Parts: sequence; C-alpha cells; structure tokens
Amino acid sequence: MKAAAIRPPIPLRTREALVGWLFVSPVTIGFLIFFVGPLIAVLGYSLTEWNLLSQQSSFVGMDNYADALGRNPEFWTVLRNSLVFAAGLVPLNMVLALTLAVALSRPFRGVVIFRTVFFAPVVTAAVAWAIVWTFLLQGESGAVNQGLALLGIDGPNWLRHPDWAMFAVIVTRVFKTVGLNMILYIAALQSIPRDYEEAARLEGASGWQVFRMITWPLLAPTTLVIMVITVVGSLKVFDHIYLMTEGGPENGTLVLAFYIYEQAFEFFHVGYAAALAVILFLLIALLTVTQVMLKQRGGPR
Amino acid sequence: MTRFRSPAVRACWYLSLAILAVPFVFPFLWMLSSAVKSQAEIFSPALSLLPETWHWENYAEVFRYQPFARQYANSLYIAGLVTAGTLFISSLAGYALARIRFAGSGLLLLVLISALMMPEEVTIIPNFFLMKQLGLMNTHMPLILLPMFGSQGVMATFLMRQYFTALPPELEEAARMDGLSRFGIFWKVALPLSRPALAAVGIITFLYSWNLFLEPLVFLSDIELFTLPLALSNFTDAYGLPLWHLQMAATSLAVVPILVVYIAAQRQIVESFALSGVKG
Amino acid sequence: MERHDRMIKRLIGASALMAGMLGTTAMAEELRFTVWTGSDAHLAMLDGIAASYTEKHPDVTVRFETIPFADYVQKITLQLAGGNPPDLGWLLENSAPTFVDAGVLLDVSDTLKDTDGYDFDDLSQAAMGLWQEGGAVYGVPFSTSPFIIYYNASLYDAAGLEHPDVLAAKGEWTWERLKQDAAALADAEEGVWGFQSVDGQGYGGRVIHTLIPMIRSYGGAAWEDGTCGLSSDEAVEAVALYHDMIFKDRSAVPPGEQGDFFTGNAALTVTQLSRVSKLSDAGFDWGIAPLPSGPAGAVSVIGQAAVVAFAQGSQTELAADFLAHMTRPENVAVMAEFFPPARLSVLEDEAFLSSNAAVTSAQMKIVAEGIANGSVAPGHIAYPQIESAMRPKFDALWKPDADVKAVLEDVCAAIEPLL
Repeated sequence: MKAAAIRPPIPLRTREALVGWLFVSPVTIGFLIFFVGPLIAVLGYSLTEWNLLSQQSSFVGMDNYADALGRNPEFWTVLRNSLVFAAGLVPLNMVLALTLAVALSRPFRGVVIFRTVFFAPVVTAAVAWAIVWTFLLQGESGAVNQGLALLGIDGPNWLRHPDWAMFAVIVTRVFKTVGLNMILYIAALQSIPRDYEEAARLEGASGWQVFRMITWPLLAPTTLVIMVITVVGSLKVFDHIYLMTEGGPENGTLVLAFYIYEQAFEFFHVGYAAALAVILFLLIALLTVTQVMLKQRGGPR
Repeated sequence: MTRFRSPAVRACWYLSLAILAVPFVFPFLWMLSSAVKSQAEIFSPALSLLPETWHWENYAEVFRYQPFARQYANSLYIAGLVTAGTLFISSLAGYALARIRFAGSGLLLLVLISALMMPEEVTIIPNFFLMKQLGLMNTHMPLILLPMFGSQGVMATFLMRQYFTALPPELEEAARMDGLSRFGIFWKVALPLSRPALAAVGIITFLYSWNLFLEPLVFLSDIELFTLPLALSNFTDAYGLPLWHLQMAATSLAVVPILVVYIAAQRQIVESFALSGVKG
Repeated sequence: MERHDRMIKRLIGASALMAGMLGTTAMAEELRFTVWTGSDAHLAMLDGIAASYTEKHPDVTVRFETIPFADYVQKITLQLAGGNPPDLGWLLENSAPTFVDAGVLLDVSDTLKDTDGYDFDDLSQAAMGLWQEGGAVYGVPFSTSPFIIYYNASLYDAAGLEHPDVLAAKGEWTWERLKQDAAALADAEEGVWGFQSVDGQGYGGRVIHTLIPMIRSYGGAAWEDGTCGLSSDEAVEAVALYHDMIFKDRSAVPPGEQGDFFTGNAALTVTQLSRVSKLSDAGFDWGIAPLPSGPAGAVSVIGQAAVVAFAQGSQTELAADFLAHMTRPENVAVMAEFFPPARLSVLEDEAFLSSNAAVTSAQMKIVAEGIANGSVAPGHIAYPQIESAMRPKFDALWKPDADVKAVLEDVCAAIEPLL
C-alpha cells in the first residue's frame, strides 16, 4: 500500500476503458473519416448545385430534392425500377437458396460436387459473371437464344427489351449470389438437432409438415439475416447494370445506385446525385428497420 | 447417406439437380470454349462448345493488350492487404466490444450496426473529393481504405463481435490469472479460438475486395494500376466494340485460379461458415 | 507505390541526362497525353511526333495513354475533377462546347501565334469554329474526317453487284441503293450482315453519328437554333428507311448483336478514314465510297476531333508548346495518313492524296471532297444532358413494331427544353 501512496494506480475500470477504446480506435477513427464524415458531407452537397467539370457550386437549398421528387419524372422510374429489382430478386433468391440448401444439406453421393457448382459463381468476380452473361444473352447469335432455338423457342432480345432486360439482370444476379445464401442456410440446417425431426416423424408428420412446423421456425434468425443482406444487396446493385444494360433500354433497368453514379460522374450533377444518395440512404434505413421490426413482432428470436 | 426409395426417385433427383445446375456451369464452359475461338468463329451461327481451330494465342494476346499480369498482381495484393488489415482491426474492435466493458461501447456498437447496411454508393461522392484532397487519386489507397473502414469493415467488426460474445469466458479467466495483459489475452487466447470466424470473415472480405468495381472505376485512371474487374471491362477495340475472344480469355484467367482454390478448400470454407456464426 | 516508381524513374532519367550532357541540370519532364486510339499504327505515328519534339527538347518525353472511346469523356472528366488532369488530350466535336464552357481547356492562342513557322491562318476557319471563342483558341482540330462508306469488295464481287464508288460516279449511289445492296449481301447462314453502324455503336452513344448522315441527305437536321429537327417529315423518312433495314430486311446489324465489318462479318459500314488501320490484315478486298445521296442530294457529315491542353495541368506552358508542335504543318502532313487535316496547305497538297499507302489517291479524293462539302456533326453546350435525355427515348425505336414518327416526337419533346 506504500507504493499506492506515492503513485496511485490507475483504477482497473479506467484502465479497462482505456484498453477498450484503444482496441476500437482504428475502426472508429477510420469509420469517422471515411463513413460518418462523408455521410454528413453528402447531406451538405445535396443542398448545392455543383458541376463536377467546372467545379463551380452554389447553394440551392432543397432544389435538388424538389427536382427528384417533383420535377424530374425520371426519378420515379428509377425508384420503381429499384423496387421491382428488389421485389424480383429477393424472393427468387431466397426460395432458390432454401430449396438448394434443403436438397444439399444431407449427404448423398455427389453432394459436394453440387454444392461446389452452386457456390462457384459466388467466388467468381461479379464483373466476369456479368460479362459472360452479356455475351450469352446477345440477340440472335447469343448462346441462350441459340439453345432455345433448338427447343423451338424464339427467345427475345434479352438485354434490349425493357421488360426482358430487367428479368435477365435479376435472374443472372440471382445465379451469382444464391450460393452464399444457400451455404448460410445449409450451415443453419445442419445445426438443427436431428432428434427434433425424428421425433416429429415418429408422430407421423409428413416431410412438408416437419419442414413447416419445425425446420422453418428454427431457421427464422438465419432467414432474417439473409433477407436483410439480400434486400440491401439488391438496392446497391451497380456492376451488373453498368456492364449489362447501362440502365437501358428505355431506362428499363435504371436503378438508384447506377443513377447516382451516372448523374455524378457522367453528367457532372454532383448536387443532384448527392440528394439521390441521401434518398438511397433513407430508403435502406427504412427497409432495414421495417424488416427487423416485422420479424421481432412475429415472435421472439 | 440419404437413401433413395427407388432407382426412379434417384434418377429424378439427380436429373432435376443437373438441370438446375445448367445456368451455373454453362457460363464457365462457354467462357472457356470462347476463349480459344477466333473472333470470327464466335460470331458464326454454329453452336459448338469445341472450337473449329484452337486459338491458344488468345491467352498470350491478353497480356499484350493490357498489362494484365500487373493488373492481376494489383488485385491480389490489394485483396490480401485489405483482408489482413480488416481481420486485424475488426477482430481487435470486435473483441473489445464483446469482452471489455467501457463507457460508450454500447453507443458505438449501435452506431456501427446502423451503418452495417449502407452501400458505398451513398458515400462515394464525398469520398471522391476526400481522396482528391488527400492526394490519393489514381492510387490504390482508396481501394484499400474504403473497404476496411466502410460498411464492409463494420460488417467484419460486427461478425467478430458476435463470435467473441458466444465464446465461453472461462477460457480467458485462466489466462488472466496467469497475468496476461488484455492484448495478450486477445492475441494468445481469443484469436486462436476464433479461427472459424476469422476464416469466414477473411473469405467474405477477400471476395468483397476482389469484386470491387465502383471504386476502381472512379478512383483509377492509369491502366497499370487497374484491378482485374476494371481490366476485364476494358477488352474492347479502340472504338469500343467488345473483343469477345480476348474478353473471354481474360475472364477465364481471372476466374479459374480462384475457382481451383475454392474447389480445393471448399469443405473448409463451408465449415468455417457453419462454425463462425455468420448464420446470425 | 506507383508514384514512388515514377519518382525513381524520373530520378534515373534525370541523372542519366546529367551524365550525358554535362552542364544541363534540367529535370526530365513527362507530358501525359490521352487518346482514344489503341491502334498500333496510330500510336507509332504519334510516338514519332513526340520523338521529333524530344529531339529539340531532350528533357521532355510524351506518354500517350489510351482510354477506350466509349468511356473517354467520362474518364477525362473524372481525372479533371479528381485533380489528376492529363496535360493534353484528344477531344471529340460533341464535347467541345461543354468543355469550353466549363473553362477546363487552356487558351493556346498566344503560343500558337508566337511559334515560328506555325502559320495560324493556314488553319481552315470553318474547322476552327467549335474551338475558338473571342480571341481565345481552345484546341486545334487534328482530324476533320468525313463519314464515308467502307464496303467489302469480295462480297460485292461474289454477288455480282456494282461497287458503290462506281455507282457514286454515275450518281446512282443512294440510301435506297445501299438498302438494296445490304439486303442482297446479308447472309444469315454465314453470319454475314449487310450493314453495320458506326463502330457498331449506332444504338448507344453514337446514335446521332449513325442517323445524321441519313437525316441530312433527306433534308432534315438534328437541331438548329434551339429547335429539334428530328421529328420533321424528312428525318422520319430517313430513320424509317434505316428501321426497315434492321427489322424488315434484317440486313443491318440489330441492337444487341455484333457483326464486324473489319473481320468480314458485314458487307458495308459507315465510318471514317482512321479505321483503315483496322484493315491492314483483312482477309478480303475492300473499297471506299462517299455517303449515299438522298432526296436532298449528296451531303457530307464531318466528325471532328481536336488536340487540346488542359488548364489545370501542372506544366501548361510546355503542354501548349507541344500542342503547337503537334499541329505544325509538317506534323499535320504526317497525321494526314489517318486524320484528314484542318490545314488548307496540307489538304490542297497533292501529297495528301498519297499519304496513306493502303488508300488509293482516288479513294483519298472521296475523303477530300467530303471535307470540302461537309458540315460538322451536331454538338451542343449541354450535350451530355441531351445525350442522356435522348438515349432512353431512342431505345423505343429499336423494336420491330416501333412507330418511328411517334418515337422521334418523343425524342424531340425530351431534348427541346435542353436546347
């Protein structure tokens, strides 16, 4: 205790707090500089008219938001496209992921090969995947339509038809990403104890009933995570659009993330693009919170 | 082993899986086959996986057309650096958030979680001007910094925290008795125990960096500095018409090695996801 | 790291110079020059011009950087906005008003006038139009290149059809005739198309370059004095002809499809002289013809590109000096091989007609006549916005059952506020 009189030791709690902050400081400082700061800045930018090329800017208040929400009919097309994209991609992705996971969670001869096949696009660069599919989906000479022609089907000009283009981009994107969700579902399925299912089976439940009453509820936490990730992933899709359709035809695949890029870096409207970024931010925040709340009201996790 | 009720059921089972697998496998096959065709044959209406004449020189041409080896190396070293850096800082922060009680940790976690889902498109414009001011345009730094500290880094931190929270605290108690410092406990006890989580986070981070497209597109102008995704989108003739044979050869070169690594390690990859708690 | 490398390279270069030429302490300087050509022939020619500059200024090197055409303007903008501007670059006519207006181009008028033997007045005033404002000069066109027709003579001979340049001499080379020829020459079995649009990009960024030659020869215009001319009866007639080629005759390469004239997959295309470099190892005979005529007679449309220096560059004086060097009479004569010049002295010189070994002087005459009678493709101060407004509307045109008149009216409605 003598030493303490000379130099009081730093109390344990303070020392812990110091160590704690020291541990989190790299992430926190970087996060403040490269995320929080820019987020505040983008709010500021959104109130200006700012030309990227001439670097001149002036304060215009809420004009950019008024442009987006009121004056520019393009914006509503973009918003609609983004939601159509998400509404098409998310269910398709999740149903396919779950189906594949259920099929491939139990061992059978060749299961590893199939898992590998369905996961392979995940480890493939998205750009590569989009490029190859653009190649496959060319009008008449593309491999897809040539294949369909063998079956007697006259395929559409996939990437040049406003409705089919959206469909094609969604489906190829699902092929690219479904493997990851499948693996997450497989991991979840394998962590469900076998006895639950066997007990239900002994009571005479059918396969579908077992899935409906036991497996599906137990998968709920995984489903929530997958859903949030997939919804957000669908709203930030950029490379597929950039490479496959550039937002066309007739703006049929012009989605928010690509629209922001195009406005800022191709048409030099920094202020307007920043306002769009803020809207994207709000949209994602809203969707994430809604999903989590809906799920929590649905029952305890 | 799942047992099939009859050979017919088994045949149906494999047939339906095989049909489902077509859109996942065919693009790779078509890519590999087009990579060794001539540009003229690619446009010929005959549908054939095997080329009439094999043009292996397409692969050599890829390296003549762009500094492809350099671009490949760029992608590898950036992804490696981002992965190592992210693993270090995210496990450090994740550990503190899970295990150390300190004022403000709850708030910090909340702020981080709220950023978890924010795509880079939201902040790309200010980051563009930030990098300009830091003099980092046309360098690899934005491609390293933004993934580490943006939403991807936050995601990594969050996953690591989840894993550390689930780790039994007793394991650390013994080390604490031995007088190990906090960092010592983290480094010598907690980190080795979190190998599955590190593997899963490492894989996710590596793939994120490997796939990055918007950032290179916006920040890089020097062709020597390009990363693979940007280089791949660049195989056009001078006036913008795609050179499909080179395009497919380059894409094959970009895709196949990663695919081989994945196939070799696929069991461990699936396991690490299962063990890491990434499932939520 | 790259920066480091470059620094080291520069240091090595500098010390080598100092060792080589005792007494000179100048640091090596590098000018970065962006171009959209990736052609070896073009780049070798440009390197030659740079080498002749380095002879006079041993401490200066010029590095030509290729940016693919489709991304060119956007990449340049990113570099300018990112504080990483090239020193010099090429710029296409449709970007000129936007870039001049944004104040990012260097006024090089003083340098040009002070350069010995430059002979500024030799530059055709018509060609300089887009690049001058008041007394300021923001660029010098290196290419004032008319759109012309390339045809696959082997395919024409196999089908026993008369060559387009022969028809042109007889005054029978019309768009209707081109349509007939394309339909006759297209062969789906063999994967051969009749007609390919400009660089195969007639449905995206270059839809104007594709349609304007037709529209003008039918007596229409894209836009004039703030009004859109694309929905005039003349323009509709011209566009309908092209629409029929794609969807009725199935002879023109449709959107989403690729058929390349230069690899023998299309019988005809409309393009410019510089693409001759792509035919050096073509496995077929080819020829050049003027643009077909229409009801309004024969017109010629010129695509223009200029050398500009960027105002934000760190070595603007040097950049301006190199610009002057590059557009001196003797270097313009060198470039005339691929890029028809804006200098009257070069244009009128007989040597121009034989400047490219692959092009006969009769063919070169077609080019020269195109320049003499031509007017530049449309540009506008708000071109990026106009293009973005047009693109989705034009997309509606590329369907078999499209109502051409209605679509073009839509296009006009979309761009009129911007004009």
